[in-house]
Parts: sequence; C-alpha cells; structure tokens
Amino acid sequence: MAAGTLSAQKLYSEKHIDYVKKLDSRKDELEYWLTEHLRLNGVYWGLTALHLLGCPDGLPREDAINFVLSCQRENGGFGAAPGHDAHMLYTVSAIQILVILDAVDELEKRGLGGKQKVGSFIAGLQDQNTGSFMGDEWGELDTRFLYGALNALSLLNLLDLVDVTKAIAYVQKCENLDGGYGICPGAESHAGQVFTCVGALAIAGRLDLVDKDRLGSWLSERQLDNGGLNGRPEKLEDACYSWWVGASLAMIDKLHWIDGSKLAAFILRCQDPEAGGFADRPGHAVDVFHTHFAVAGLSLLKFEGIDEVDPVYCMPKAIIRKIFSA
Amino acid sequence: MGRYASDPEWASIQPIPLNDGSETGTVPLATIAYSDEYLEATSYLRAVMAANELSERALQLTEHVISMNPAHYTVWIYRAKIIFALNKDRNGELEWLNGVSLKYLKNYQIWHHRQVIMSSRDHFPTLPPKEMDFLMEMFAQDSKNYHVWTYRHWLVRHFELWDSPREIADINSLLNSDVRNNSAWSHRYMLRFGPRNDQPDGGMVNADGPPTEKGRLAVVDEDLVDEELQFAQVKIASAPENRSPWSYARGVLRAAGRPLSEWTEFARKFVVDKRDDQGQLEDVEVKSSHAIEWLADVYAQDSTSDQSSARDEAVRMLNLLKDKYDPIRRNYWDYRIQQITSGELPAAA
Repeated sequence: MAAGTLSAQKLYSEKHIDYVKKLDSRKDELEYWLTEHLRLNGVYWGLTALHLLGCPDGLPREDAINFVLSCQRENGGFGAAPGHDAHMLYTVSAIQILVILDAVDELEKRGLGGKQKVGSFIAGLQDQNTGSFMGDEWGELDTRFLYGALNALSLLNLLDLVDVTKAIAYVQKCENLDGGYGICPGAESHAGQVFTCVGALAIAGRLDLVDKDRLGSWLSERQLDNGGLNGRPEKLEDACYSWWVGASLAMIDKLHWIDGSKLAAFILRCQDPEAGGFADRPGHAVDVFHTHFAVAGLSLLKFEGIDEVDPVYCMPKAIIRKIFSA
Repeated sequence: MGRYASDPEWASIQPIPLNDGSETGTVPLATIAYSDEYLEATSYLRAVMAANELSERALQLTEHVISMNPAHYTVWIYRAKIIFALNKDRNGELEWLNGVSLKYLKNYQIWHHRQVIMSSRDHFPTLPPKEMDFLMEMFAQDSKNYHVWTYRHWLVRHFELWDSPREIADINSLLNSDVRNNSAWSHRYMLRFGPRNDQPDGGMVNADGPPTEKGRLAVVDEDLVDEELQFAQVKIASAPENRSPWSYARGVLRAAGRPLSEWTEFARKFVVDKRDDQGQLEDVEVKSSHAIEWLADVYAQDSTSDQSSARDEAVRMLNLLKDKYDPIRRNYWDYRIQQITSGELPAAA
C-alpha cells in the first residue's frame, strides 16, 4: 500500500487510528524487526498521533506504562527496548509517554529510584565545559540531545539539576549567519536542528535570543511550490518537515509566513486513504514516524478534527497546559 | 540449530532470549517479528554484553549484528569498548567501516563510531592519507549527507585543516559538479571565515557578541574577501536562482564588515528595468528573485537615512517578490513592506 493513491483532500482519521492501533500486528513486514532500536520512540509517536486524532484511549494504558518501565536501566535512563542501553532520546520519549498517560508517579511507585534518578541520568550527560549534552556515555554531541534534556527535565520539574544558562549559550553558538541552527557550532543550518535549538530556547524562556525575522525568513523559504517543506536549501520536501519547520515558525509567531492551505494539501496527499498512515511524500510507503509528524503538522495548521498540539513539546496542548499550571 | 548454537566456540555461552514483553501480551506496539538469524545473534550478544566479555569472538558477533541492523546503537558502543580493550588495528577498523558506511548511507551511529576511533591522538597524530578520499566516495553517493559533513567539519577542527589545499580543492570539485550543494557552500564558509583553533567553535565569529558584531572577524584579509566575492559572482552567473551563493556572499560581507551595497551594480544585472521612449517604466526583467531581495535590502538600509526614493524602490522590489516571484511567502513580504513604510528598522538579512 502506498500513500496518495487517491486525490484526497479529506483526512482519513479512522484509517490512521486503525493503522497506529494495529502496528503490532504488522509482524510479517520485513523491515519491521529492524526498528527495535526505535521502539520507545515508536510508542511515543503512535500515542501522540492517537491523542491528536481524538482517540486518547487507543492504546491500553497499563500495557504502555509497563512497557515504558521495562525499558528503564539501572542508571535511571531508558533504552529503546528492554535490554538496550540507556540513551537520552529514549529517556525523553519515556517521560513524554508517562506525562501523556498522566503516569509520572509510576516512576516513584515502580521505577528505579523515582523521577530524581531519571533527572540525574539526564543531568549527568551535560558537558560541564560547553553546556551541551551527550546522547550517552560515549559523548556524541547533537543539539537534539540538548533539547531532549530540557524537554524531559522541565516536564519532571527538575530543570534546576542542569546548567541551563550554559546550555543556552551553547545553542547560541549553533546559530548561523542565515539565521538557522546546525547540529553543532559551525554546522550547516538544518530545519530539524532549528526545531531543537528554538525548542530549547523556548523551554528556557529565552526566545528573545532568536533573530526572529532572519530565522523566520529562512524557515519560510523551506516551502516549495508543491506546498511541502524541505529541511535545507535545494533538498526535497518531506512530510516530517511540516513539523520541524512549522513548529519552529509557530514558536516564533511566524507560522503565517508560509502558505498553510498549500501545506495542508501536501500533507493530505501523503496519507494512505486505504491502509491509513502517512508517508514522507506522496506515493511512498507509510510509517509511524511520518504519521505522527504529519498529524502534528496538520494540528499546527488548526486542521479541523485534530486536537491542538504544543509546538515546543510536540504533545497534546491540553496536557502541556495542565502540567505547567499544576 | 542456529549458527552460534552449533558452533563449539560459543558452547560456553548461555544465550539470553529477547524479553520485550510480547509473550505476556503487555506490549501493544513493541512486538516485533524478528528473523531467526537476528534473534539468535542478539541473544548471544545479550549474553556476552551481560558478562562484559571483551573478546575476539564478541567482536565478530558485533560485526554480524551490525551487518543485519546497523542502527542498533548499543552494539556500536560495545564494539568500541572491545576495540579499545584488545587494542585492535584502527586502520583495519576504518577500512571495515568504509564498507558499512557505503551500504547504509543514512546511519548516525557509523559516523560517531568513526569519530570515536579517529579521536585517539596516539593512533592518529595526523590525518590518515586516505580519509578524505573515502569521504569523497561518500559524497559521490550523496553529496549533501549531513552526517558526513558534520564528521568532516570535526576533522577540520581536530586536525586543523582550515588551510589544507585538499579542503578547498574538494569543495571546488563538489561545487563544480553541483553548484546548488548548500552543504559545500556552508563548509567553504567555515574554512574561510569560521573560528580557528584558538577560538571557540561557533557558526558565527563572535557569536557571543551583540547582534551587530555577529559574524565580524577581528582581522580581515581583504584579498581573500574579494576573491570569495568574485567566486560567488561566477557561480551566481551560472545559476542565478540558486540561493546558496547569494547567502554565502552575504556572509562574506558580514564577516568583513562591508555593506551589501557593494553588490548593487551586480544585483542590478539580474533585475533590469525596461522603459519606453519617454523613460516610463514598462516592465522589469528578472533573472533572480534573490537579486530582487538583495536590492530591497540595500534600498531599505538607505531609506533609514530618510530618502523617500530609496524607500519607494525598496517597496517596489518587495512587491515584485510578493506578487510575482515568491508569492507563496506573500505574508512575509507584506511584513517587510510594512516595516519599511511604517519607518521601523528594516530587517536586512
């Protein structure tokens, strides 16, 4: 099955909900077993997509919590699946899932050392010299990890475990002359990294550091004539950039600088109207990653029938509001 | 019986099967249909990892698992541990990595592993001679591969290669084959104007300074600046609608503290007013939307010194973009127009 086989300008919500709910029954698909290293991310993507599509109870709550807890390691962090080493990216997904399920207290009840232990794991990955964050003990640096750290720690109300000022100074060093941000200082601007850098600044309350006109200009230039967005100049469009670019624009209040209806039409062309799910671009095979980011992209555009997403956390807005008003 | 179960070398190992919760039915999204070969190999991998066995056979096992699933990040970490513990030949490891990298172009772990191996000053006091050849081989597959460019950027800083003739030669060659390769333009900027070893690594020089100082070099080699501006002009002439060299030129001027207006005449070549016999404007012949934007920025800067003609010209240029040459961003161009007509500070990029 491929996306975009019908000229659909309609959202096939029920199909997408079914697609996500039935992911575990697609065992006969060859590439499926290769994605164990993304398992915890996959649960987050699927769960968020279900929430935004108005089906918050689509996954059995207790099962999901059990799975998350089964991925936790002695050091407090989470691996992608049981038995995998702890890593920043999966730890962030674990916290996001628990927050969405309103189950953070399960960390105290059944987790290893409560939320404090998770916070310590994340804090231990901050590089004291530069303020940046590693993904794991092996020291790979990437602004994705820095954003992830601030995301999860703020959700746990544990931001004071890290040096936020230093982290923000590092993000500033990743800003390029075109207004965008790269994976590390001096690296080419990339919309995915822009999202992580702007998201980190948003969490730290330092969006004042962004050159909004310049960045907004660069981000809006990512829209192609077919309505889709790319991640860098002269690259192809991809439905997931609807999120990376769109959320970044939303955070700096410039989402109206792109043509929203053209983007929505492009995203809808990426859906598979029969089997459900979204692909990276029309005619390609669907997957849960692109399904999540396509639905989130439509949500940013206030598409009818989709719940509101929070552009900083990429989680249902109502849940984010609730947790930060508590 | 599987490959490992039937191998006497592995007889002492009790494999640890996967426990992903699927047997108890607790895991909705996590159940995976594994191939038997992968399941067996990873069950032995779990066992040797649990025992922290750093051995030759464990090294072979990591290779087997990576060949089936290179995105399995845990196995890379374990492999690096073994390489260090057994003090394996690092060049051999790089050779092996070359093949894996060419096979799996979109993988993060491979490149971080390569950096971990290459980081050892004891083993690699200088850049190994074939390293850049291999990166060019990678670029022949995908000349914009972000992982490879990030790794190359790291190599430049690690081995201090900013002025290495090979760097600029490779960039020239990549831009000759694809002038729209923004990654190559970005790398070129880093080589020419990026911070050196005694400065903190930043996309912009003086990144910590106030916005007006961003991108300004402490010392500027004017010959180099002129050379790079000339280079950008030649590349623009060959593909005027290509964004990258226009951005590059902005960066060069900014680094040198020189104004955009230096290029007014050049940009005008791509935006030609057509007038009738009475000198009335009939039409505008546009060869590059980026040239229109450039002129708009120049006029907008002039308009702050209260020249209404400059302001009108800036607005005319922005309207061209809004109505005809970049209408998909009409709200952005409207914002720019409104800034100028309301007398706010122009957003010259």
